[in-house]
Amino acid sequence: MDVAKELLSGTILAGARAIRWLDDGDPRGARTLAEIFPHTGNAHIIGITGPPGAGKSTLVNALISEQRRRGRRVGVIAIDPSSPFTGGAILGDRVRMGKHTLDPDVFIRSIGTRGQAGGLARSTHDACLILDAMGYDLVLVETVGVGQDEIDVVALAHTTVIVGVPGLGDEIQAVKAGLMEAGDLFVINKADRDGYEDTYRQFELMLHLRAESKALSSDDWSPPLLRAVAVKDEGIAEIVDAIDQHKAMLQNTGEFGLRSAQREREQALTLTCTEIMRSIRQSADPAILSAVEKREIDPYSASQLLIKNWQEGRGT
Amino acid sequence: MSNAHQRPLRILLAKLGMDTHTVGITIIAHALREAGMEVIFTGLKQTPEMVAAAAIQEDVDVVGISTLSAGHTRNLPKLARLLREAGAGDKLLLAGGVIPEEDRPLLEEAGVDRTFTMGSDTRDIVAYLNEWWVQQLAADA
Repeated sequence: MDVAKELLSGTILAGARAIRWLDDGDPRGARTLAEIFPHTGNAHIIGITGPPGAGKSTLVNALISEQRRRGRRVGVIAIDPSSPFTGGAILGDRVRMGKHTLDPDVFIRSIGTRGQAGGLARSTHDACLILDAMGYDLVLVETVGVGQDEIDVVALAHTTVIVGVPGLGDEIQAVKAGLMEAGDLFVINKADRDGYEDTYRQFELMLHLRAESKALSSDDWSPPLLRAVAVKDEGIAEIVDAIDQHKAMLQNTGEFGLRSAQREREQALTLTCTEIMRSIRQSADPAILSAVEKREIDPYSASQLLIKNWQEGRGT
Repeated sequence: MSNAHQRPLRILLAKLGMDTHTVGITIIAHALREAGMEVIFTGLKQTPEMVAAAAIQEDVDVVGISTLSAGHTRNLPKLARLLREAGAGDKLLLAGGVIPEEDRPLLEEAGVDRTFTMGSDTRDIVAYLNEWWVQQLAADA
């Protein structure tokens, strides 16, 4: 099977295999990506993030249905945490999306974080490119349940949806720090629950403060605050309307292409840094490290020595 | 990027039909996670078609079906056939739960690679999968 060619024509088996290679760091993944890259840059990448228990998977399930009603082909990347101790993971986001399994125009992939911090998996960006090349109109990226500053999804997505929920109390305080500054759309899910009014007011206040801030506000977009009961399909059409409006704004201002360009540039730098770090760790002189362990040399001086050795070893 | 960099075994666990007994599958899922595997859970009341589609989207190496309320002589052969027809016949297909001894030949004939019956030690299942995975990685290298 010519994986690159097959996935460009939309073959699910091929796309699924390419994502596996990229997730595993198999060199065939990078070769495939090189072939399909010219065919990417079209899909609307939409991040769905929020604290654990906010109902992100259920919301994604409802968003898939609404996007399908509008005739769009949908890719989904659902990320769950891997165990830092065993590397294993239980990836259960599909449980809430079961009704879309047999829809040929919906592709759902579960990915474990495999040691990556920030709310995403290392291969998330690659998986988005594969789904993009397969011709999905949009990719919904569901992050792990996040806390204060795990907002890597913002750099990945064109549009980031922050999902909150009534009754988390202090969680809202946590949300405001990183997430309130980052989102393009705010949704309070489970809005039929006690405490909704309080949560709404808190979100409203945060958004007001954000609008007052020169650094965080924008003339082109003010983030809407929406209510939803995802499990009952309430408020879902309004969310997709707002997502569509955000996309239209991005396209009208040229921001859509700009965000994609920035993302690919950052990815190139990230990959470079990862590779160089690996190379430095591999080539590090054990004698220098051992001297640090014995407190004969301090970490700063040691690092200068290690970098110098590494550069000389490469003939630069 | 090295091939052996990070390559955990991926396994999909599911229950077919109206069977809603979840204790066994939950215990297995945790044991496999402890063993460093990625377990994809698809929920209950799955049809063979749904399991086959999910297994392909997830590109798992192994499909494990827990069955505790009969139907396995119909469902499992169908699942094996769907996987083969979709070009995914290379995935290891396992069944566990209440499977009478006399049904085993039929299941094996239909493409079920291994059955584990009630009372199987999770350590045996983990050891079996680890051994199989080592062979796969060696064959692929």
